[in-house]
Amino acid sequence: MDVALKIWRYNPQRGERELREYEVDAPEWACLLDVLDLIKDKHDGTLAYRKSCRMMICGSCGMRMDGRAILACKEPMKPIVEAGHVPTIAPMGNMPVLKDLVVDMAPFWNKIRAMKPWLDPGYDEVAEKERIVSQQQVNAIHKEALCIMCGCCVSECNSMESDPEFLGPAALAKGFRFVGDVRDQADIARLNDYNQEHGIWDCTRCYFCNERCPKGVDPRDAIAKLGAESIKQKVDHDMGAKHAKWFVKSAETTGWLRETELVPKTQGTVEAVKQIGFALKLAKHGKVPSPFPPHVAKDVDEARALHDLVRMQGREGAAGIVQGERGLAMIEHVLEADPESGGKSGGD
Amino acid sequence: MAATEPKRVAYYKGCLAALSAKELDISTQALAPKLGLELDELESVTCCGAGDIHEAEPDYYLHLNARILAYAEQTGCDTLMTICNVCTLNLRQANWQLKNDDELRARVSANLETVGAPPYAGTVEVKHLLWLIAEGDGYEQLKTVAHKGLKGLKIAPFYGCQILRPSKVLGFEDPDKPWSLEAIIEACGGEPVDYPAKIKCCGFPIIQAREETALGELIQPIEQASEAGADAIVTPCPLCHLSLDAWQSKLKKSTGKDFAMPILHLSQLIGVAAGLEESELRFKRHVVSVEPVVEKLEA
Repeated sequence: MDVALKIWRYNPQRGERELREYEVDAPEWACLLDVLDLIKDKHDGTLAYRKSCRMMICGSCGMRMDGRAILACKEPMKPIVEAGHVPTIAPMGNMPVLKDLVVDMAPFWNKIRAMKPWLDPGYDEVAEKERIVSQQQVNAIHKEALCIMCGCCVSECNSMESDPEFLGPAALAKGFRFVGDVRDQADIARLNDYNQEHGIWDCTRCYFCNERCPKGVDPRDAIAKLGAESIKQKVDHDMGAKHAKWFVKSAETTGWLRETELVPKTQGTVEAVKQIGFALKLAKHGKVPSPFPPHVAKDVDEARALHDLVRMQGREGAAGIVQGERGLAMIEHVLEADPESGGKSGGD
Repeated sequence: MAATEPKRVAYYKGCLAALSAKELDISTQALAPKLGLELDELESVTCCGAGDIHEAEPDYYLHLNARILAYAEQTGCDTLMTICNVCTLNLRQANWQLKNDDELRARVSANLETVGAPPYAGTVEVKHLLWLIAEGDGYEQLKTVAHKGLKGLKIAPFYGCQILRPSKVLGFEDPDKPWSLEAIIEACGGEPVDYPAKIKCCGFPIIQAREETALGELIQPIEQASEAGADAIVTPCPLCHLSLDAWQSKLKKSTGKDFAMPILHLSQLIGVAAGLEESELRFKRHVVSVEPVVEKLEA
């Protein structure tokens, strides 16, 4: 089949950026990476891009196709060709471009390193007896463990566009991979680290990371799990945590959000006082509803009783987050194929 | 007027439309009958948690949303209509989890019954007003209803995040190439304006805890829509509305630029084209004046 592509080229020596069009003859089974290989082999040896495994494991070939961060080895070209579309290929976002489709991933790796991505078992000497980890305990971090660190989630992270120092979805998902690991004993220290400025509470919940991740990690869900663990462990000094807790307080008291009190409860009285000028401007347009009389939901007693009941059942923290289907489907697939290998160790 | 039998839907307005964004509820209630929608407003319901309870106490989040779904089911309607992106994601996510996991639904339903709420059988679909209008009969009715038109006003659609992503939970349209707002703008006689930030974040979820980062996000749609010559931005989300409308003045302080970009709720945009009165549109509740849009229409 004839494949046409437009590729953003960047020459670092000359500092020039140019959109160049290519046409190649490719086999019908070709993915984008195959097409790039053909271009490089037969048309233009100067084209730069990263690749290694060609099978969605190494995470090297992250780039953008029509604005979406993708793995080049995962995108079949046939449907695109059949639709008569000429896609535009560009380097990933939120990272400096080195040449053509190659980005500088140093900031990415620095953030991964900042998460201390190694197990801290809390002892110096190896215990005599083996520590058995149940399947259920493995499942708790299964999705986060699927990450291949390709950078697709980071490419479109809206918070990082605004704050380049934001740890971002890949690093934070890596953080939960350790916070959620039953063998790791450094939870509180980790949560304190991740709760700093540019950490958990800088996530703007745009969900681009979940949308882009080629492996079903769902980094945004991992960030929510870190938030839930922080609040469970009372590492809740950040304004983001206070903001989240006020929603719970509202639901279990009046049922509806106590909107006007949200600012002082999040920012503290001193900071909230500084916002008075802004609040008065909003108040002129009815945007600051009076907290008195409170806006109480009908049958709110049910919501209050639910809060007590749910708390008693002890699914606080990350354990309360229902895992998405993609990661779990993979576990089920393994269990179905070989029932002996999977669920044997059972729950804890 | 609706040509066919009205479609009765359970209506969950959420917190903001009951409080600081009352104009959204008022205009939605005024518009609904014209679009063939009969709203059965849920009373015994609470906040959906707005993503915050999902992050603070996730199991409580699931139960609060299951309770809303259960009360919607009790009305006998097959559709629960929302008018907020965040409510839509929270309710659809809980619904998706409950529908796909019988064991989970049984546990949550038992808890609901313990506190005196109805159990949830999993029969309700959560749909945003935008989707109900953009698809099928809704769209056909819109074309008749929007008789006053928008006189070629240039309108920038702003989708926001949580009506598009994650698409496995939302899934109404391609999250990278949505079309529903554009179709509605065109059906109302307006001219949709295209710009890259229409599918990005307005910054609202972190506007109180990380204002600077949030404003760095907020400026993008406003600046791009302004450069593309838009007369106004329309959004299906009251949180995006609050951010784009009320926090716009803070952009002036940080960047020196006064965009004066009017921001309309979806129900207001259609409402204008359908000839709703000011008492039903409540533009005076906006921080950025909508007067230039109204004047252009009356000219």
